[in-house]
Amino acid sequence: MATQTANIPRAQPAPGAPTRGAHLWRQMVRYRWGYIFIAPWILVYALFGIYPLVLSFYLTFFNYSFVRPDDLTFVGVGNWVRGIQDVLFWQSTFNILYNQAIFISLTLGLGLMTALLLKQITRGGRIFRTIYFLPVVTSVIVLMVIGGYLTSATGPIQSQLLRAGIISQPVFWQSTFWLPMPVIAVINSWKWFGVGTVILLAGLYSIDPQLYESASLDGANGWQLFWSITIPQLMPQIFFLLVVDFINGLQMFGEVYAMFDIYGGNQHQALTPVLYLYAQAFDQSNMGYASTLGLMLAALIALVTILQFRFVPRDVD
Amino acid sequence: MAIAARPTTPTQARRWQKITRLLPYVVLTLGTVVVFYPFIYMLMNSLKLGREILHSPNALPSEITLTGYTGVFTRLNVLLLLRNSVFLAVSITLLNTLLSALGAYAVAKIPFPGRNQIFAFMMATMMIPGVLFLIPTYVLMYNLGWVNQFQSLIIPAAVSVYNIFLLRQFLQTIPDEQLEAARLDGAGDIGIFWWIVLPLMRPALTSVAILTFIGSWNDFFGPLLYLTDPNLWTVQVGLLQFQAGVPGENIQEIWAMITIITLPLVIFYFMLQDQFVQAFANVKFK
Repeated sequence: MATQTANIPRAQPAPGAPTRGAHLWRQMVRYRWGYIFIAPWILVYALFGIYPLVLSFYLTFFNYSFVRPDDLTFVGVGNWVRGIQDVLFWQSTFNILYNQAIFISLTLGLGLMTALLLKQITRGGRIFRTIYFLPVVTSVIVLMVIGGYLTSATGPIQSQLLRAGIISQPVFWQSTFWLPMPVIAVINSWKWFGVGTVILLAGLYSIDPQLYESASLDGANGWQLFWSITIPQLMPQIFFLLVVDFINGLQMFGEVYAMFDIYGGNQHQALTPVLYLYAQAFDQSNMGYASTLGLMLAALIALVTILQFRFVPRDVD
Repeated sequence: MAIAARPTTPTQARRWQKITRLLPYVVLTLGTVVVFYPFIYMLMNSLKLGREILHSPNALPSEITLTGYTGVFTRLNVLLLLRNSVFLAVSITLLNTLLSALGAYAVAKIPFPGRNQIFAFMMATMMIPGVLFLIPTYVLMYNLGWVNQFQSLIIPAAVSVYNIFLLRQFLQTIPDEQLEAARLDGAGDIGIFWWIVLPLMRPALTSVAILTFIGSWNDFFGPLLYLTDPNLWTVQVGLLQFQAGVPGENIQEIWAMITIITLPLVIFYFMLQDQFVQAFANVKFK
């Protein structure tokens, strides 16, 4: 029994295959509960992870639709050729990169600024931190509905901008070509900058104060300290946020689905890759092609992640 | 370490010091206003009459009314949506916390052969972007006949690698001797898990439960894909459906509903603030 043999030192396995096999088997029996406890994950992942993964590669070679399920036609790399030539896919990719460039700059900038301020104050830091983290719990749909009203032509933001003379007339930003992506980025950064704040603040606390002291003795000013110590020391946290934000951000769906039609507006100004994939799958009933678009986006994400790892060759846990 | 040029005279220096000490508070308080404003706007409009929301959305209510809140129950059947959302979130949270804890105990404390390989594989699966699974999982669910069944959302979320990872990290801080002592007293693995590991993991389990609950409560894509029957809609899908209706119609109910969806989470958040921050950012402060 496992309970009785627990403390007996493991016997040295004698050379030779049968003994080693027997030893392995004994270990497996002894620690059988390990397999039993991990089994739920293995079962769930086999069915809803590995099987769909294989299926997605399989589907990519077919035209497959729910409307005509028997009509499964092999198209080879046809879906890939179509995907690479699909103007809408590339426009959606451009849109999301445009959105993420603004969103990541904003969340990182705001997060770093608030983290630096929170590090400076002596009292009330916990309260501010709690408040700044609050938007993280709001749902994407609630966020977009409220954000839509706040930024609407009659909403409070535009009426203030009008009063201040920054804009001369109300802007229906959703139907413009260039505004939807930045506005969504601003709304999203309201929700997410608290995560950046908390992670960067933890990073700031872990910086050795002696680094600042010795640099100050060498005559470095605040600005120099910031660029030569704070930023390099925060690189693991910044890098972590960059990778995680980007992987999540490229898969944006709810934000644009809540505000636009499934083709992202009349000029596709808010079309994201996942929204396009959704439209292909559930509007055009084109599962094979939608699956291919999923693979293309995943390849893009992998590519960007690899590039990010190249630029910052540091290990981050 | 103020980021500015140093002042020269003593009085100037003192004044400068005062400003640099107060400035962060001023900026942080302004930030608080920005964070709170959407919530205040939401509350404010949920207490107005429909035409007042349309004509003066940015002003305080001229008279406070609860017709939006009563309308949510009589006209939009929000109880059904709440029931569906609570059922999904609670069952996913309970199941996921328990099964992830079991998995975490296995990979952290039971040295079964192949453990390291399985764990490495689990970590690798976290790198795969979710978008890849979307279409094939729908095809699978469709073929299983799980569309418009709650299990299409519950079973795939019954255990998750990220939660196993978080709980394993926590379990590694518990010394093996503590578990060995129980083993010598004759406890089996199930007994050790239930009577020792689970109680010890309480703080980490809270984090994981919060994360899972919020994830399920706020999930939109899953219910949108798999629960197309209006009787199975969750609050998120229901809200968007009402919002997408006739513009201006049901406006007071919509604001009331946004408040009903959001306020419990906000209260819950302020009650368990530290666990929330730790759960999401996986960061601990002293």
